[in-house]
Amino acid sequence: MAQNEDDVSAVSRRDFFKTVGVSGLATGVLAATEQQAQAAPGTLGPGPVPVRLTINGRPYNLHIEPRVTLLDAVRDHALLTGNKRVCDRGTCGACTMIVDGRTVYACSTLAIETQGKKIRTVEGLANGGTLHPVQEAFCDKDAMMCGFCTPGFVMATVALIEKFPHPTPAQIRHELNGNVCRCGTFNRVLEAAAQAGGVNHG
Amino acid sequence: MAEETMQQPPAANPNEPSANAKKYAWTVPPAKTAILSHRVERVDGPAKVSGAARYTYDINRPGMLWARAIRSPHPHAKIVEIDFSAAKQAPGVRGVLAWKDPGAEVMYQGDVVAAVAADSEDHARDAARLVKITYETLPFSVREASSKDPATPKIFATGNTRPGQATDVGDVAAAFKSAAHVYEATYDTQVITHVCLETHGAVCEWTGDKLTAWVTTQGVHGVRQQLAAALKIPEANVRVICEYMGGGFGSKIAADASVVIPARLALVTGAPVKMMFDRKEEHLDTGNRPSAFSKVRAGVSADGKCVAFEAETWGTGGAGQGAQFPLPYIYQFANRKRAHLDVYINAGNQRPMRAPGHPQGCFATEVLMDELADLVKMDPLEFRLKNLPPTAPDAMWGEYFKIGAKKFGWDKRRATGEGGKGHLRTGMGVSACQWGGGGRAGNAHVDILPDGSVVVKVGTQDIGTGARTVVGIVAADTLGVPLSTVKAQIGDTDLPFAGASGGSTTTAGISPAIRIAAGRAKEALLARLAPSLGGDASKLEIVNGRVQVKGGGKSLTWKAACKLLGQEPISIDNAWEPGLSSVNTSGVQFAEVTVDTETGIVKVDRVLAIQDCGLVIDTLTAESQVYGGVISSINFALFEDRLLDRRTGQMVNPNMEHYLLASIADVPKVEVMLMNMPERGVIGIGEPPTVPTASAIANAVRNATGATLRSLPLHPHRVLAALEAHKAGRKA
Repeated sequence: MAQNEDDVSAVSRRDFFKTVGVSGLATGVLAATEQQAQAAPGTLGPGPVPVRLTINGRPYNLHIEPRVTLLDAVRDHALLTGNKRVCDRGTCGACTMIVDGRTVYACSTLAIETQGKKIRTVEGLANGGTLHPVQEAFCDKDAMMCGFCTPGFVMATVALIEKFPHPTPAQIRHELNGNVCRCGTFNRVLEAAAQAGGVNHG
Repeated sequence: MAEETMQQPPAANPNEPSANAKKYAWTVPPAKTAILSHRVERVDGPAKVSGAARYTYDINRPGMLWARAIRSPHPHAKIVEIDFSAAKQAPGVRGVLAWKDPGAEVMYQGDVVAAVAADSEDHARDAARLVKITYETLPFSVREASSKDPATPKIFATGNTRPGQATDVGDVAAAFKSAAHVYEATYDTQVITHVCLETHGAVCEWTGDKLTAWVTTQGVHGVRQQLAAALKIPEANVRVICEYMGGGFGSKIAADASVVIPARLALVTGAPVKMMFDRKEEHLDTGNRPSAFSKVRAGVSADGKCVAFEAETWGTGGAGQGAQFPLPYIYQFANRKRAHLDVYINAGNQRPMRAPGHPQGCFATEVLMDELADLVKMDPLEFRLKNLPPTAPDAMWGEYFKIGAKKFGWDKRRATGEGGKGHLRTGMGVSACQWGGGGRAGNAHVDILPDGSVVVKVGTQDIGTGARTVVGIVAADTLGVPLSTVKAQIGDTDLPFAGASGGSTTTAGISPAIRIAAGRAKEALLARLAPSLGGDASKLEIVNGRVQVKGGGKSLTWKAACKLLGQEPISIDNAWEPGLSSVNTSGVQFAEVTVDTETGIVKVDRVLAIQDCGLVIDTLTAESQVYGGVISSINFALFEDRLLDRRTGQMVNPNMEHYLLASIADVPKVEVMLMNMPERGVIGIGEPPTVPTASAIANAVRNATGATLRSLPLHPHRVLAALEAHKAGRKA
C-alpha cells in the first residue's frame, strides 16, 4: 500500500494544521521583531554585546552575540545546564523556562529580549535541599525515565499549578501538551501533576 | 569462604546454577523483602528533576571548543574536492578535519564528509557553511520498490539487494492443499528513527596521550574499545564516562562519528572539543528501525488450526544494512516457508531499535491472525489460543490472554465492523509479544567502609531504565541495609566491566554479580564482627541496617558495627554467575480505540499491558518501562514516519514538528499488570512491551470499522482510504 503512495500527499491533516500553526506563529514573531528593530535607536551585533539577565533572582552579566538564544545563554554562558536543548525549534518543550510568569520555549527566544525580565529555570525551583512540590511529585510517581525531558516537564507543570492551583485532568493535558517525552512517561506525568495540584475531578 | 567458591570447577552446563547462585539465591519477594520488588523511587530522581544530573550535553570544560559536521546534501555522490580555505579564515575556527577523502562516495543525505572546530557553537556552524565541497552526483534510490526493480542501475557496490534468511519447515505445498481456507495479503511497516531527546555526541579531552571522553552512550566499555581502535591508541589510555544519558533505544551502542570526530579534533587543536548533533543530523544519521514488507499466504483448517504459511519478505535498513525480522511471530504454523530480501536505499543506516525486528513481525502476524479468525468465524482471542505454543514459564500468552480478556472486558467486544452506527466507531484488539532478555556481562565491586558507607561499583550505565536504582536495591536488599546507605557508582570505564545496555540485558547482567558480591561482603563482615557479638558468625543477621544475634541478644547499629572494621574495609569483587537470572519473557496487550470515520483520526482510549520479566527488582521503575513501551508503540502505530522525497532523496521531516510523536493529549488510559516470577530470576523488560501495542491498535481499528489496516502508520489518509476500500468491497 505504501508503495503506491508516492503521489499522494504524505502530509496528514495533523501535519497540515501544525504547519499552518507554526508558520502563522513565525509571521507574528517576525512582524513584532521588525517593529522593534525599526523602533530601536541603533543596531546591535553581530559581535558580542553586554546582556544582563536575571535568572532565578540572580543577576548575570553576559557578553554574548545578539543572536544567542535564551537557552544557549543560560546553558553555555550562565552554565545552568538543567534545561535541555532537544528540537531547538520550539516543538518539544525540553527548554521550557518561566519568564515573567509565562512559559517560554527558551530555544526560540532571544536572550537579549529577556533583559529586565524575571527568568526562572529548573535550578531555581528547589529551596536549598528541599524540592519543589512538583519535583517531589515527579519523584513519587516516577514521572521520568532518561530524564532529558524532565526539567521542561517540571517547569511546565510548575506553571500549570501557578495558573490552576487545582487543575482538572483536561487542564493538565492542555497545559502540558507542548512537551514531548520519548521514553513514554506521560501517564506518570499526568499522575504527578494531579498529585502536585491536589485532586480536582473537575 | 571466598577461596572455596573461587576454586569451584566451572559447571558443566553453562546454565546450571553456580554454587554461589544457590547460596545467595533470591529471597522470594515481596513479602519477605524490605525493598526488593517493592515500589522504590529511583535514587537519581532528585538529580533529574532539579537539573543537577549532568548529561554529556551539559559537560562544559575550560577552553572547550565546539565541533560541527559537514554532511552530504545528496543521496548519492562522489566527492570531487573539499576546500577548507574559507572556513579556516572564519572567526573562532581552530581546526578542520576531512572525514572522507576526495574520490570517496557519500551514500545518503547526511553522510559525514568533514568537520570543523571553533570557539563557540555558533562560530562552528558559521564555519561549517563555508566549507566548500564539490560533488559529482550519482543515481540513487530511496524507495524499496525501485531498489528491488532489476531495471534500476546498480547503486551499491555489492548490488541493490541481498538475500537474507530463508526457512522451509514441513511440507508447505501439501499443507496448503489440505487447508480449508487459504488467504493472501501484504503487510508493511514504515521506517522510524530513534529520536533520542539527547542527540548523539561527546566531549573529548586529552591529557598528554590519555583521552577522557564524556559520551552519551548505552555502553561505556564498548565505546572505549572502539574509540581506542579508531584512534589506534591503547584502550588503557581511554576513559569513557556517561553519568546520565538522554535516551538511546539501541542507537547509542557504537563509537560513531559523534565520538571519533571530537576526539580527533581535540587532538588536532589541543583543546577539549564538544560535538552534539542537531535534530536534523539525528534523524538522518544515527539509526532507524528498518521497514518491513511481508507478502503472506496462509492456510487454516476448518476447525481453526493454522497449518501453512508462506511469505516473501523484504525491507530496508538503509545504505547497506539488513532488515531482518521474525515471521511468523509466536503463533505456530506447522508448515512454513519464507524467503527474505534486504533492500538497500540511499538513506541513513539502521541501528537496533527497541526490540529489533519484533514490532514488524508482530504487526504482520497479528493483523493476519485477526483476518484468519474472521475467515474461520472464530473470536480472535479463541483463534489465538488455538494456535499458541504450549504454555510454559517462558510462554505464558494463553494464561495472560485469559486474564486480560476478563480484566479488559473482552466479552463486550462486538463482531468485526460492528463498532457503532455514527461516525465514531469503537473497537478492541489484542496482540502478543516475546523477548529473550537475559544477559551475562556484569561485574560488581562492593566496599563496606569503616564509617558505614557502602559503595557498589558496576561499569554499566543508566539509559533511563533505572540501572543506578537496581544496583542500589540489589545491594541494599542483600546486605540488609537501607537503600540510602548504598552509593551506586556506574557509567565509567574505570569501574568493573559490564556489557552494553541493549537487548534488555542490563538488569539480568548486573544483578547476579551484585547479589553474590554483596552476599559475600555481608558474610565477610559478619565473620569480622563475630568475635564482638558472641563468636559465631552463622548466628548473626543484619536487619534494616542493624547487626544482631538471631532470635535476640546483642546487637549493634550499622555504623557501630562497621567501625569495628578498623582500618581495613570489606572489599569484594564478583562476576555474573548462572542461576540468578534467566531468559525469555512473554506479554500480551489489549487496546480499545475510537475511529472517526469522517476524518480518519484514530484515538486510542485504553490499553491493558500484561508483561512478565522474571524477578521484578523495582516494581515502580519496571512499570515505567511498560508504560514507555506502550507509548512508543502508539507512536509507531499512529504518528511516526520517516518521509523521503523520491525525486530529491531528501528527508522531508527531519525535525520534531513534522516527524510526529505523541504528546500528553494523545495518551490513553494505560493499565499495567506486571507478572512477577521471582523463581525464574532476573530477565529484563525494556523491549517486550513496545512490541504488541501497534498491532493491537490496528486490530482494534479493524474491529471498529471492518476496514483492515495492513500498513503503518495509521495516518488519517490511510484510514480513510481503507474505509473507502472496505465500503467498495462490500458493495462489490
